[in-house]
Amino acid sequence: MSPAINFSHTDLLACAPEIALTLAGCLLVLLEAFVPGTRRWFATLSLAAVAGALWLLLTAPPGTSFDGRYETSALTAILGIFLGGTAAVSVLVAKSFLARAGEERGEFYALLLWSLAGCLLMTRGLDLLIVFVGLELLSLSLYVLAGFFRGVHASAEAGLKYFLSGAFGSAFTLYGIALLFGKAGSVRIAALAAPGLASDSTVLMGVLFLFVGFGFKMALAPFHAWAPDVYAGMPTPAVAFLSVAPKGASLLVLYRVFAALFGDGLPDRMRAAVAAVAVLSMTLGNVVALAQRDIKRLLAFSGIAHMGYVTIALVVFGRNALAAAIVYLFAYLVSNAGAFAAVAALYRDETKPHPVTQLAGEGRRSPFAAAVLGLCLFSLAGIPATSGFVGKFFVFKAAIEKGADGGSLFYALAIVGVVNSVISLGYYLRVVYTLYMKDSVEPDGAPPLSASDGLALAVCGAAVLVLGIFPASLWREALKAAESLPLFNP
Amino acid sequence: MTDHLLSLLIFLPSAGALVLLLFPESQPRAIKAFSLAVALAELAASLPLWTRFAPGRIGFQFVERADWIPALGISYSLGLDGISLLLVLLTTILTPVSLLFSVTHIDNRVRGFAVSFLVLETGMLGSLLALDLALFYVFWEVMLVPMYFIIGIWGGARRIYAAMKFFLFTMAGSVLMFLAILYLAARHLAVTGYWSFALADLTRLPLTPSAEAILFVAFAVAFAIKVPVFPLHTWLPDAHTEAPTAGSIILAGVLLKLGVYGYLRFALPLFPDAATRFAPWLGVLGVVGVIYGALVAYPQPDMKRLVAYSSVSHLGLVVIGVGAFTAMSLSGAVLQMINHGLSTGALFLLVGVLYERRHTREIAAYGGIAGVVPVTAALFLVATFSSIGLPGLNGFVGEFLILLGTWSGPAKWWAVAAATGMILSAIYMLTLVQRVFWNPLTLEENRRIPEIRPSEFLAAATLVVLMVWIGVRPNDFLSKITPSLEELRTTVSEKAAHRISPATEMTARGAP
Repeated sequence: MSPAINFSHTDLLACAPEIALTLAGCLLVLLEAFVPGTRRWFATLSLAAVAGALWLLLTAPPGTSFDGRYETSALTAILGIFLGGTAAVSVLVAKSFLARAGEERGEFYALLLWSLAGCLLMTRGLDLLIVFVGLELLSLSLYVLAGFFRGVHASAEAGLKYFLSGAFGSAFTLYGIALLFGKAGSVRIAALAAPGLASDSTVLMGVLFLFVGFGFKMALAPFHAWAPDVYAGMPTPAVAFLSVAPKGASLLVLYRVFAALFGDGLPDRMRAAVAAVAVLSMTLGNVVALAQRDIKRLLAFSGIAHMGYVTIALVVFGRNALAAAIVYLFAYLVSNAGAFAAVAALYRDETKPHPVTQLAGEGRRSPFAAAVLGLCLFSLAGIPATSGFVGKFFVFKAAIEKGADGGSLFYALAIVGVVNSVISLGYYLRVVYTLYMKDSVEPDGAPPLSASDGLALAVCGAAVLVLGIFPASLWREALKAAESLPLFNP
Repeated sequence: MTDHLLSLLIFLPSAGALVLLLFPESQPRAIKAFSLAVALAELAASLPLWTRFAPGRIGFQFVERADWIPALGISYSLGLDGISLLLVLLTTILTPVSLLFSVTHIDNRVRGFAVSFLVLETGMLGSLLALDLALFYVFWEVMLVPMYFIIGIWGGARRIYAAMKFFLFTMAGSVLMFLAILYLAARHLAVTGYWSFALADLTRLPLTPSAEAILFVAFAVAFAIKVPVFPLHTWLPDAHTEAPTAGSIILAGVLLKLGVYGYLRFALPLFPDAATRFAPWLGVLGVVGVIYGALVAYPQPDMKRLVAYSSVSHLGLVVIGVGAFTAMSLSGAVLQMINHGLSTGALFLLVGVLYERRHTREIAAYGGIAGVVPVTAALFLVATFSSIGLPGLNGFVGEFLILLGTWSGPAKWWAVAAATGMILSAIYMLTLVQRVFWNPLTLEENRRIPEIRPSEFLAAATLVVLMVWIGVRPNDFLSKITPSLEELRTTVSEKAAHRISPATEMTARGAP
């Protein structure tokens, strides 16, 4: 391995999206410092930066760059749309939210753009160090975002908690990378495909460490303990991003590593470990969510459960399962980000807790935001004609299909999954009936709906229905994307 | 095929609901008028089904097909046969009837109410017409959401509890059916090499007896909860008691029928062997339902709860008819579904009429009001007679066919039990009439109950006319049902012979 990396301008062009996002973030910080009068354009500017980065990503010629360390493919493109879409919703929600809180500062958008760049690096890196750099860029930006409301106790606490547990998770990741490097002699993911590595116990230990490290980012049980407090204290628009984008990027990294190491099937012990985490996440997330009284904490546990469902697709493994996971991620994006957009629009005082009971009567007082929240919650519960059902449909379909090849584990996972979706109805419906069937207790109620919130809600609500009713093209694209992931040991 | 009548029927109500969203909440009259107009237009649009339906023709009619998720062989395919025809018409009749009744009784969030009803109609018709299992499942579940809101927002005191229970019970039943559908489709892929969720394709699948039994149970439980078959019925009395009158009419009239319909349409042809094997259990559960429902109905102090338990009993009879699986018992069962929709719909409606005036459903709070509200009393009496199977009205035809068919079926004692249930039903229903309408008029406030309104009368009278029609000329209806049921019976009994042989399966799949 040569000590210096040589790269040409085509390599630079390949990572133009990340560069653009980083520069846009820097620009926002500078504008904030020197031309604060432009603040009201920050959200528009950020949206333009996201759109520009996506354009660069989607028009880049497919292939690898930086000597095979960096990928541009249908897979990175579809993940890019997923990540960029999440960031766009967060920016839209942030606009009036920050203004309401009196904290409309450029740093917020800059940090969001940088964390998006980090996510993109993670999904595109074919070298574990690039992935790690992406992970750290993402995490450091999100630590700051979690504590963005410095004066608010809960937010400061969220920042610290997320930082501590995140650092812990990163240490696992790094240790895992070190172990893999020690055995494979390279930090490239493709190097894991070398024969014999898949059965080496040090390598398995390394992969397990990676799984734990990314498990922290995905908030999979038992690595989830940070999630409820961070969700509750972090500014809601940032939660909309945190609860979706890093999880999707982490899942893809795990898929890449597993694909290189195990080809198209996990060894039994690994499969059992991942399956156990999936079952625990689904069950713990849903059961504990039943007891939550604060909507952000409730959604935190719901998120833990959803990562459990999507982890089924990691247990099942293979191209179909990856495509199912991608569909699931999109379904989760629109419903979860939509739910957080609605939460941001429905609660007046960000610095206080967000009890579900405060939503009483909002079905009449803020019909649009309440309707989108209800729709997104039905989608998260997996009711047909919404995106959430489509996501579950493909994931469970992948499990059942694999089960037909033998292995009752897959049937068991699907059964645990559907039983869990019935459990989850218990708390999603509670929010819905609070919205529509309880009389208002709050004299003020929700603030008036701003145009940007309205747009975010409309986009998410429409996407939930469109993906729910016409999933065929998303599935086709997801399958195409999944096919671009090399499975090294067929 | 250029005929899109079925699609029109399914989506017209939803389109109407979308337009309704543009109406301002401040104009309840316009909203009511428009929703009623949509429901009547839907009824008018569904009438050609009755005239154009050709009973003798084999297979489905008015068929439509379009790709939905081609990669998985999921299609938007619809069709109508004699089993679904009458249920479709029942749906398009009961929806305007419910809305008409609600015109004078729902004043709270009228727009949401009308939208829920129209979306519900889309869900019900979609479930009745879908021939693709994925499509069916989508409509089947979509139905829950509007009904949840109808019970939860416009219901009685314990409405939230009842709505949650309704949603959770039904959902818990159907998720396993969902996995069973996925299994069938994956099996189809394994055997033939391509995906399909079409009913026609999946019925030809070879299944091992144990797999067939498990899948059958997954389907049967989903449908049994909906019917509801004892002991899965506990959600029903709560849902009925708390639901607004219009919700109860639709719930009893159509939603419960979808359980039996799903069994006939999907469970039987997909799993004929298991269905035959489990038929005795079905019959026994039906018998238990008939007797249990009747015994529990008798002492109920609440009129609506009494009628709700009578539904458990009457649907038990339908289940017996399906379990016996003779030509006659099946015809009776299908016709009885329609009858029950009409008679129980009418009973709920008339209980609603009394409730809206006295704001109580306690039987003890009434007594001797036949002289105060003679028209209501007369209508109630007709509905009661229909419900207990008095000759000349619809109930008699259905019950008689079920009894006769069951007597020649696998177990004569089912017919004995069913007949006992009918006697019991006469006892508790007539006691109800006696206590509400005839006994001495003791309470002062009962002297001033206003008579039934024209809109309510029109709604109830529509149902009474249909009761008499079916009672007097049952052949108009039976002639449409019977050929399809005969077809079902032959397919089920011949299915085993026509299945793809296991040998084909091995070559298609190859070694694992």
